[in-house]
Amino acid sequence: MFEPQIMCFLCKWCTSGAADLAGTSRIHYAPNGINLRVMCSSRVDPQHILYAFRAGADGVFIGGCHPGDCHYVEGNYKTLRRVTLFSKMLQDLGIDRKRLRLEWISAAEGKRFAETMDEFTEQIRALGPLDLKDKVLKREVAKDE
Amino acid sequence: MKDKEPKKRIGLFICHCGINIAGVVDVEKVANLMKDYPGVSFSTNYVYVCSDPGQQMIIDTIKEKKLDAIIVAACSPTLHEKTFQEAAKLAGLNPYQIEIANIREQDSWVHSDKEKATRKAVKIIKAHVAKALRNESLQPIKVDVKKRALIIGGGVAGLQAALDIAEHGYQVLVVEKNPSIGGKMIQLSETFPTLDCSQCIMTPKMVEASRHPNIKLLTYHEVESVSGFVGNFKVRIKKKPRYVDEKLCNLCAECEKVCPQVVPDEFNMGLSFRKAIYMPFPQAVPGTYTLDVQNCLGLLPVRCGKCKDVCEKKAIDYDMKEVIFEEEVGAIVVATGYDLYTMQAIGEYGGEKYEDVINGLEFERILSASGPTGGVVRRPSDGKIPKHVVFVQCTGSRDTEKHNAYCSKICCMYTAKHAMLYKHRVPDGQATIFYIDVRAGGKGFDEFYQRAIEEDKVLYIRGKVSKIFKEGDKLIVWGADTLTGKKVEVEADMVVLAMAMVKADGIPDLLKKLKIQSDIHGFLSEAHPKLRPVESLNAGFYLAGCAHGPKDIPEAVAQASAAAAKVGDLFAQKELLHEPTIVPVNDELCSGCAICITMCPYQARSLDPEKGIAVVNEVLCEGCGACAAACPSGAAQQRNQTDEQIFSMLTAMLSEEEHV
Amino acid sequence: MKVHYYPGCTLKEKTTNLDNSTREAMKRLDVELVEPEGWTCCGAEYPLTEEKIVGLAAPIRVLRQVHEESGDVLITTCSFCYAVLKRANKAIQEDPLKHKRINAYLKDDIKINAWTKERTTGFAEYNGEVRVLHLLEYLRDAVGYPKIRSRLKRDLKGLKIAPYYGCRLLRPQKEVGIDEPDNPHIFEEFLEVLGCASVDYPFKQECCGSYLSVSLPDAATEASYQVLRSAQLNGAQALAVSCPLCFYNLDRRQDRIKEKFMDFTGLPVLFFTQIMAWALGVEEKVLGLDQHFYPPGPLFQEEKKAEVVL
Repeated sequence: MFEPQIMCFLCKWCTSGAADLAGTSRIHYAPNGINLRVMCSSRVDPQHILYAFRAGADGVFIGGCHPGDCHYVEGNYKTLRRVTLFSKMLQDLGIDRKRLRLEWISAAEGKRFAETMDEFTEQIRALGPLDLKDKVLKREVAKDE
Repeated sequence: MKDKEPKKRIGLFICHCGINIAGVVDVEKVANLMKDYPGVSFSTNYVYVCSDPGQQMIIDTIKEKKLDAIIVAACSPTLHEKTFQEAAKLAGLNPYQIEIANIREQDSWVHSDKEKATRKAVKIIKAHVAKALRNESLQPIKVDVKKRALIIGGGVAGLQAALDIAEHGYQVLVVEKNPSIGGKMIQLSETFPTLDCSQCIMTPKMVEASRHPNIKLLTYHEVESVSGFVGNFKVRIKKKPRYVDEKLCNLCAECEKVCPQVVPDEFNMGLSFRKAIYMPFPQAVPGTYTLDVQNCLGLLPVRCGKCKDVCEKKAIDYDMKEVIFEEEVGAIVVATGYDLYTMQAIGEYGGEKYEDVINGLEFERILSASGPTGGVVRRPSDGKIPKHVVFVQCTGSRDTEKHNAYCSKICCMYTAKHAMLYKHRVPDGQATIFYIDVRAGGKGFDEFYQRAIEEDKVLYIRGKVSKIFKEGDKLIVWGADTLTGKKVEVEADMVVLAMAMVKADGIPDLLKKLKIQSDIHGFLSEAHPKLRPVESLNAGFYLAGCAHGPKDIPEAVAQASAAAAKVGDLFAQKELLHEPTIVPVNDELCSGCAICITMCPYQARSLDPEKGIAVVNEVLCEGCGACAAACPSGAAQQRNQTDEQIFSMLTAMLSEEEHV
Repeated sequence: MKVHYYPGCTLKEKTTNLDNSTREAMKRLDVELVEPEGWTCCGAEYPLTEEKIVGLAAPIRVLRQVHEESGDVLITTCSFCYAVLKRANKAIQEDPLKHKRINAYLKDDIKINAWTKERTTGFAEYNGEVRVLHLLEYLRDAVGYPKIRSRLKRDLKGLKIAPYYGCRLLRPQKEVGIDEPDNPHIFEEFLEVLGCASVDYPFKQECCGSYLSVSLPDAATEASYQVLRSAQLNGAQALAVSCPLCFYNLDRRQDRIKEKFMDFTGLPVLFFTQIMAWALGVEEKVLGLDQHFYPPGPLFQEEKKAEVVL
């Protein structure tokens, strides 16, 4: 069975806290995600998202604070704007925009984090492997030759 | 990403955490695997790394193996990051060379498949190796603190904060735009729930503030501009010309007698008159006359000159000019108070049309012994003593449709107080209050309100008022009595409206100058609604009193003392230490597009006018990274989480072959 | 300039003098009022039931007809019609279900009439394109007070008139509200432009009881009495109304009021366009003052006398 690889960018103050809480509460979820903790979801650059896909991620997840609760006042609004525009671009670039997901999960919502991980894993599994790395490498190899 | 990986000796310490990690992740296998991973010079696993022997082992290993950086793969960094940073410091390592890999909360505790959990742990650790290879050693940013405070607003909150900070031993400047300090509290007659004489408890504070060696009162002054940052503010203050030398004026009042200009007295809410040269009220601090140049017949050229002629002390000087000067302070407390919602906004209550429909502050002046009626309750139109006074609560408050949605907090209490005081002075009079709820939450408050009903026989009707109009000599008040379900028509001689508390008049301008945040109503925003109620999110600014939101005197005083304590916290530091993981500007790459400047919620970035590139104030930058993500040229990189580091982490987590 | 105009049933049947006054007055302002073809009853009351077709079909049919005749504005001089038409219009714009059903129904409607006239609509659906305006709004915004002032022919010499808003013109504020319900001034402004002195009195937005005319006539009598009496006590020489139903109720009911409240001396009730017509120089017979129950004749004749003297 295809096991998707999911790259998760989690904000330190909220969603990473939720992931920790899921751990403290021993709530199990699919192991397909791997977390990168950022200070704020607004640190995530579309370049990072694209790089993740290229590096082998089948799905990318961004977790930030609920609107109004951002530790840095309005970072999550910036993330929202970026992801909204970028997901359209993704579609145009040939990557199904459903592979990119933005969620507001607060540090108190450990269970929700786990459920979201499970749900997203299944969604990506249904979409199938992205295989961007192979496609890009094949082209790079072809160029060099 | 093809770049030369820097040479660094990284030590990896994998914790078993008993069976918490080791029970799921094969820690020995991982430690062995990572021995040969590029960049890792030493790799081991240990039962409880956070324990004393565990930490000692780390310290010893760093020294022995001459490590440049370490990775501790264990529980969440929120738990022990500081612990390991301290241990590493003891071994001579910079704390920013410590990486914590979370393989417990975010791996072993949430996955049951041991093989997958182990493979995930390897990926996590590899990512931290990639990051650690490029981590810089950083020093916290030191900020000097000027131990001097500025308080904007000389009301009860401002003065309380001033006195507390002064008692700590620090210098305080109090800037007050009116000719005297005292704020609204000095206008009140008695305060709830004790019916203390307001002026009697306020004037000692005013005098104390004026006499305190650490407090400098700058009355009739205004803040022009504020620049700088916490600990290092530069404030430009404008001294408005009083045309009277405070030090010489001896309050003989001869000038007032001869002044021909008569103006409504704002201290008495327009219920009486004053002259153009005046003293706002007898207990004014400083005790001096002030010439209101807007209402004077004219000074350029001098059209009258009578006041100067009669001044025996030669205190009057028509040549006084406005002076702007600069002061340096480390903290600013904003205590600018409130204003009352204008009666014009609720035309159907007739506040603008009828003299006998007044607001709470006007009634306070009528009740006050030093007011326009000498404390006798008379109505403004004809001076008759009203035999029936109607009080209307919630005028302009708690109204989501047209006016202000919030509750003004103090009206229930002061209306009960007004009704009681009226009954004390006019025992055969009738006091009727229209209310929605009665909010009496403080100490002694509910008992006070019960007293109004039981002892003073104040009538409370639950319902809103729809219209107030004049019929002959009487004011007719149409309302509803929701408890009986009937319409009510009351004949009154005078009506007192408990108008909503709104932001102070000059707030929009002041906020532009201070660049701090307010909510949609214009009340200043606190850093956190529950846990940080007296600080602004903008470092160095503190809030006290009604500028922050409607509150009564005990709360204003409490908040002011709290703000003073916070200022004390700031001033107690020799210097401020600020996290260095900020986002600097790479001069060579920056093209001056200024995108990053608008991104910053702390206004930490600006455009250098000469160089044409962005510059960052390291003290204001909080290191969120929003600008780094937006920078099109990569000139803005977050320290120890640069794009390069992130890309290398992504490669490590996603691209590499799995070795397990 | 031609504008679509919806007179409503009362103006066309019971109070034709008010309709004529309106037309003549508007002619003096270079506006020709055109009724939409085949207009029907507006429904008189905005339906509060869940029924999504019947109650709204009537007003929407009228608006649809206006749209078909390329009109983008519909003026009315009746507060009830104004309220119904405006609210129905909004409902079509905001509620997709109502929009769908009404348009579906009205499509059938056209087919029924097809045998009498050949009619092809220039559009598929009515989406609320027409703007519903009360004449007071139109005079303030489209015609403009300066133009009215420049066309005044008679000096009303500060005739003291109390404006009566009634209920329908102001509420509900969000959907209908020609002005702020608690503190309106559009009617007062209008009267002052014509040269009257508007009288402020507390009952200007209170109910006149017209709804209860049949079921509880006594309550209606008392309500009307309150309104008229309050205007009188505040010095009004006449009451001005903006709705023919208010007019009908407040004028005609005065005999019953006199029976019940002996102290009541009667107060002339005028329709706002009658005052406007008079001020703009229209002949007295057009106003049809003899059709009023309480004769306002003496009020105007004095003015006429003054004119003759000059």
